[in-house]
Amino acid sequence: MTTSVVNNAPNRIHVHDRRFGWLLTMPGLALLLLVIAFPVLWALFTSLFEYTLINPGFHTYVGAGNYAKALGDPEFLHSIRVTAMFVVAVVVLEFALGFLIALMLNDTERGKDLYYAILLCPLLMNPVVVGLIWRMFLHPSLGIVNYLLGRIGIPPVNWLGDVDVAFWTIVMVDIWHQVSFMIVLLLAGLAALPREPYEAARVDGASSLQCFWHITLPLMRPVIVVTLLIRMIFAVKTYDLVYIMTRGGPGVATDFISYFIYRSAFVGLDLGEASAMSGILLVIVLAMTAYLHRSMRAIS
Amino acid sequence: MKKFLYALSLSTLLATPLAGSANAAETVSILMEGVPDTEYVKALIPEFEKQTGIKVNIEVVNYAEMHTKLVPQLVAKKGSYSAIVVDFYWVGEFVKAGWMQPLDKRIADDKFDTTPYVPALMDLVGKVDGVTYMLPFYNYAMGLTYRTDLLADEKNKADFKAKYGSELTKPATWGDYLKQVEFFTKDGFNGVVNQGLRPDPIAMEWSNYLFANGGQFQDANWKATTNTEAGRAALSQYIQNINKYGPVGAASFGFDEAFNVMAQGKAYSYITYNFFRTSFDDKSKSSVVGKVEIMPVPGTAPGKSGSLNGAWGWAIPKSSPNPDAAWTFLKWVESFEIAKKRALAGGSPTRNDVFADADVLAKFPYAAALKDLLNQSHNFPTFTYTPQFVEVLGRELSLAVANQKTPEAALATVDKEFDELARKDGKLK
Amino acid sequence: MPHTLRTFVRHAILIAFSAMIVLPLVWVLRVSLTDKLTAYKIPPEIGHLSLDNYIEVFRSFPFALWFGNSVLIAVLATLISLPFATMMAYAAARFRTGGSPLWIAVLASQMLPPIILVLPLFMVFLSVLPVDSRIAIVIAHVAINLPFMAWMMVSFFEGDSRSLEEAARMDGATRWQAFIRIAVPVAGPGILAAGLLGFILSWNEFLYALILSDSSSQTLPVGLAGLETHAGVDIAPLAAATLLALAPVLILLPFLRKYLIKGLSLGALK
Repeated sequence: MTTSVVNNAPNRIHVHDRRFGWLLTMPGLALLLLVIAFPVLWALFTSLFEYTLINPGFHTYVGAGNYAKALGDPEFLHSIRVTAMFVVAVVVLEFALGFLIALMLNDTERGKDLYYAILLCPLLMNPVVVGLIWRMFLHPSLGIVNYLLGRIGIPPVNWLGDVDVAFWTIVMVDIWHQVSFMIVLLLAGLAALPREPYEAARVDGASSLQCFWHITLPLMRPVIVVTLLIRMIFAVKTYDLVYIMTRGGPGVATDFISYFIYRSAFVGLDLGEASAMSGILLVIVLAMTAYLHRSMRAIS
Repeated sequence: MKKFLYALSLSTLLATPLAGSANAAETVSILMEGVPDTEYVKALIPEFEKQTGIKVNIEVVNYAEMHTKLVPQLVAKKGSYSAIVVDFYWVGEFVKAGWMQPLDKRIADDKFDTTPYVPALMDLVGKVDGVTYMLPFYNYAMGLTYRTDLLADEKNKADFKAKYGSELTKPATWGDYLKQVEFFTKDGFNGVVNQGLRPDPIAMEWSNYLFANGGQFQDANWKATTNTEAGRAALSQYIQNINKYGPVGAASFGFDEAFNVMAQGKAYSYITYNFFRTSFDDKSKSSVVGKVEIMPVPGTAPGKSGSLNGAWGWAIPKSSPNPDAAWTFLKWVESFEIAKKRALAGGSPTRNDVFADADVLAKFPYAAALKDLLNQSHNFPTFTYTPQFVEVLGRELSLAVANQKTPEAALATVDKEFDELARKDGKLK
Repeated sequence: MPHTLRTFVRHAILIAFSAMIVLPLVWVLRVSLTDKLTAYKIPPEIGHLSLDNYIEVFRSFPFALWFGNSVLIAVLATLISLPFATMMAYAAARFRTGGSPLWIAVLASQMLPPIILVLPLFMVFLSVLPVDSRIAIVIAHVAINLPFMAWMMVSFFEGDSRSLEEAARMDGATRWQAFIRIAVPVAGPGILAAGLLGFILSWNEFLYALILSDSSSQTLPVGLAGLETHAGVDIAPLAAATLLALAPVLILLPFLRKYLIKGLSLGALK
């Protein structure tokens, strides 16, 4: 399956086009440089120094020292592992559910407004509130969830206090909160699909499954990749939810990387090491992004 | 594009009136947490504004985020907060970083008397190495809240005597209390509810267990001493109280979850911050109004206490834009008259003269017990890395409660990391 | 599958999904109509229902201020970032401006945990851009939204409008006209979805809003988080405030309905 984009892709970009491209890019880029480039570069620079909050300043250059210290810390590596598991779990599950719902919704006329309005609701709640409310629902002895489970004969679940359960509880709440994010983006992608290929396929007598597999999926690939990419970046940064619900516990079962980095920066007061950890995280996420990006470029 | 330009110009238009915020010269801005004691201060502020013409602007944020919000302000040469409130956790860090102004000269110049303060609180959130940086604002020492109606019940008394051979009364020692926890746990009712959430709820609560067993966090040379007989006993008791005598999930409870279990009448006791005592008499939150009393956490022998101290202090940051106005406010809000008004509204006092005041005692008879509790309570080790130590302690305790580490192994790690932090801070040689 | 059966299954799935979203919110509604004691009663009691918490939200907390700030900031941040992001996305899709390195760098700016940027960002707004705190939050949010929105939109500009643009250029339209009159409408759903994403990001953004705000510019997330205190969580007013804070759904819906929900496709345009 090829798209018209591939066929029409210009081999050489005209100099006026190039200038026009930069003209369009500059305003946004300037704003990013002004507001976000300095903090990012500052953080990366800080990672090379012994920089603590109680003695801030670039007095002691330690080179890769902070990076070595971070990589030698088993707790840090553990939190990277837990975070990776979490990211994979929520991105995969939310994508599967989200794509299904987006496909259903795209085919629906009646009640579409209402469905859409409903799925927007969790997105407009901030994670702190979501965490507090679910903490109440999931209270082992005073929460509505265990009460309802009890009515159908299921013994109380220790949602946040059991090492084996807590991680999946966070995943579940995150799905409730964020699955709509996927739906909104994927639905927009579906809405923008051209209709001709489907009409042609119908003339050829293709089944809907064939249409999905041979038309929808290839055409949606760029949107899917971007959606996964953005969701992945947000999932890596998940902070408030674990902060409110488990504080990384029980034990270290939900000790996600952003909470870990928060602690080394503002509790351990070691901004140098926290920045180095962020730098390591950046490399990992960048590698993932480059990989996904290439797979997107390959088709467009 | 026209639409976009239109939107842009509209946005500028909308934003313009917001740009000119109030003149900072005569405004005292303070960052606080939305606790009742903050509300009592807020309610009295019109009085201060009328008296001095200084406007007070209290900004309320979530406790956990206060520190994050404060740090950039304190690192800056000139921040926007005239005065701040400091949790005892942060005292070591703030002093070490030099973020607070010494108050001694102002105290001497204005003859502000600091002697009425409870000495333990002055140590905690007042003086550091002989320099006064803060005035104690309110205390949150921990106490044992327990159900008086269950103790008074005749059947319980008889059953208890039959089982243990002693009278069922307000526990005189920690051992008595543990027996009661065991005794009351039956038929879906719990002898105790705990707050096992890491890091601070579990760390703070367990500290009471440590002190109640006669243990200490460190010796005089700042060498850690939790992996001792007392420490190990405290941790075993704690694990048992959570996993055997407590409700399902206590290992993940913050104080809100634990409070609700107690307030719904589903547990006999809960070791918690003393200001929750008032909440148990609040009909909108509690089904056990009039049935809960507070006492110092009992210790190894009658009359000894295992309570952990805790408090907030007022301070003036180095980056304060108007320290003089801030001091005017501090000495007003901490004057006997205003401190008493705050106490009468329900606040947690820090001054002995307020505790001893007849009006306060008349309105809150348990103030006398709170005064005892406070004067006997133990301080948590305060040094530059207190928050980090709380993290370590919380993590290891949580691992032990989750049966992922033995008490010995957990406490060995606690001691090891405490020593490292104390050494880094120059406390341990 | 016959058509009616398929419709039935589709709606069954959608209703089940909606129920999963809505039922917790129904319970939030119930909590908002009662007090903390009743909220935690098990087995649940309906008890005395009242609107007290809704009144309390306005009386004891500056809810109207939080809400106003949030709406203002999210709307401005979206309106400002939308044209910037659209232009960047178009340039990237059509002219490969800056190539992959620039494009990945733009996104990389969002990969660090925000907590690590708190101190330098505060310094930027303290010394380089000393603006009113609401405007500072708007600018910070634009900087957060831009990369995501631009990335999102690129794939929508990769679509079929290129040949239409070329035809228009043949007819004498400028590049700018081809962009505005043809590419932008064709990418409509993508642009709107990106706008919605930007609004949501800004609406929920917590950390920068916390660091940059003062008491007059607190947003809903910052304000509502304050209901969790050392002395417990004010769960009943929080529930009321949470539901009130969903109001933007009603504001957004008519907007979205026209383009996003009904589906604006190329076919409709031609």
